[in-house]
Amino acid sequence: MLSEREVISTLNMLRNEHLDVRTVTLGVSLFDCVSHDLDLFTANVKAKLKRYASQLVAVCNEVGDKYGIPVVNKRISVSPVAVVGAPFGPDGMVTICRALDEAAKEAGVDFLGGFSALVEKGFANGDRALIESLPQALAETDRICSSINVASSRSGINMDAVSLMGGQILKVAQATADRGGIGCAKLVVFANIPQDVPFMAGAYLGVGEPDVVINVGVSGPGVVKKALDRAREAGVNADGARMTLLDMAEVIKRTAYKVTRVGEMIGSEVAARLGIPFGVCDLSLAPTPAVGDSVGEIFQTLGLSGIGAPGSTAVLAMLNDAVKKGGAFASSSVGGLSGAFIPVSEDSSIEAAATAGLLSLEKLEALTSVCSVGLDMIAIPGDTPATTIAGIIADEMAIGMINHKTTAVRLIPAPGKIVGDEVSFGGLLGKAAVISVPKGDSSDFIDLGGRIPAPIHSLKN
Amino acid sequence: MQKYTASFLGRDCPGVVATIGHILEDSGCNIQEVTQTILSGEFAAIFVVAAPAADAESLRTKLSAGLAQAKVDLSVLVRPAIQGQWGENLHCEPFVVTADGPDKPGLIAAMSRVFARHGVNIESLKAILGEGGANHALFVFEVMVPDRVDLGRLRRELACEGQTHELRVSVQHRDIFEAVHRVNSF
Repeated sequence: MLSEREVISTLNMLRNEHLDVRTVTLGVSLFDCVSHDLDLFTANVKAKLKRYASQLVAVCNEVGDKYGIPVVNKRISVSPVAVVGAPFGPDGMVTICRALDEAAKEAGVDFLGGFSALVEKGFANGDRALIESLPQALAETDRICSSINVASSRSGINMDAVSLMGGQILKVAQATADRGGIGCAKLVVFANIPQDVPFMAGAYLGVGEPDVVINVGVSGPGVVKKALDRAREAGVNADGARMTLLDMAEVIKRTAYKVTRVGEMIGSEVAARLGIPFGVCDLSLAPTPAVGDSVGEIFQTLGLSGIGAPGSTAVLAMLNDAVKKGGAFASSSVGGLSGAFIPVSEDSSIEAAATAGLLSLEKLEALTSVCSVGLDMIAIPGDTPATTIAGIIADEMAIGMINHKTTAVRLIPAPGKIVGDEVSFGGLLGKAAVISVPKGDSSDFIDLGGRIPAPIHSLKN
Repeated sequence: MQKYTASFLGRDCPGVVATIGHILEDSGCNIQEVTQTILSGEFAAIFVVAAPAADAESLRTKLSAGLAQAKVDLSVLVRPAIQGQWGENLHCEPFVVTADGPDKPGLIAAMSRVFARHGVNIESLKAILGEGGANHALFVFEVMVPDRVDLGRLRRELACEGQTHELRVSVQHRDIFEAVHRVNSF
């Protein structure tokens, strides 16, 4: 028999705290689809995606109904297209992107990730073709997400790729200028990209992964915030002593455990029903623009006036670590990013802080050194020079490379917009005020190109 | 030895279980299963016992006499134990159905009628009053749903019945509650 507390707590998590499974992502390897013939390749890809993905949405809905916990997004990740489509040029890459978009729409998923290239140490022909095709490919498709890994702790930073991406991000924004530069919301530049991320826009299926796999992304910033609210309201811990940050970290950890258990259970069952192996559960505090589903609000609960106030990096470090600890205990299959996201436009509280000038790009960069993922969903002026964007990417990649962690950049140089203007992307992507980028000129540094070598892996002080 | 079900109902106080246990022991009964609860000061317990008594009535008489002698205010009902249980030959899944809203007469009747119509067995029912404010009631039904039941239809009918009575209804597999709140060793 269940206790009153167990029932009421679960009901509250669902009804008032936005507990859900944020995404079930079906990973599909495309290595067995390769061909030198573009038509044959795209036909193979569409046939394989149809074979495995046709039941994905229906099964996710059934399992969500069974447990009373909604699976909000159903998605697909595929092998990096720059690798499987290596024989083709930029035009061929655009054709592949369109075929993937059609397959995503047919399967009823909201995003398909994997229009990706891994170039941390250099470019292969397919990588160059894919990166060149990005403006057209992302402008002509609706549901395709792209990620470019330009750095790793083992290989260093490919500064030629960083420079190239600075320019391509601007071109993608211009190609989707009629929609506020939304193409950039589907394009991420990574350091140390994980092979099994279920979250977009960074999801792709790594080369070491199975042929097909189910990965699950669980969120729950609202659940964590409400648990912290209750703890602060109580004022004392279980021993009757005054509540301190140590107790708060414990609350976050236990809540993360609960949320991860939900994700693992639902993911395993979806995988079993589809006859596909279960991969990982990625517990990331991924906010949505809805009030009460915000990572930024957690900073206020923990005593800061808002995210950006002094102490924010310390709070985020504690939050991120406690989330990982709870998740690791809940499941032996924790993977992906697993931490706290701070996407500006997707989080009403973070967006408000940035709009009010309380959260600068510099502070956001500092925050990314202690959390996953990075500079995420930040609108910057449309006339930002490509070399400045490349410089910002280089800084962020350096944080990831040196600290052996994933970092990423998803900037939106909003066409025609200046600092203070608002850009709206709609839905889960939210809205954001354009914020300023750091002053100074990086062009000569970026033009040097080449590679920043991998860091030393000893003498760690 | 015969198998009987003995139910006890009455005022709760320290020593009630000790008295019942003593009387059962004196009557030569071996307790095989037991469940007990307290609600609003009332004690209720069901014991399944193996007893030497020839029939249920003689065992009830013996138990009542023992309780009267011990001055414990409990009513006793004794019946021959049931052979076989509901659902023994059915594959069922455990679900937790909650319904909450303003309290008024007839809510449990309304919800349970839907379960009865679908052949769903209620294994535990709890009413929690006042949790969501004054006059707010939360009913928690732990039910066993046979595989042949159309879960979607059951869910829709429960929601519809709930709406009629201003109740919010949720239907969830029991496993999710265990997964979230309990740490099992395997």
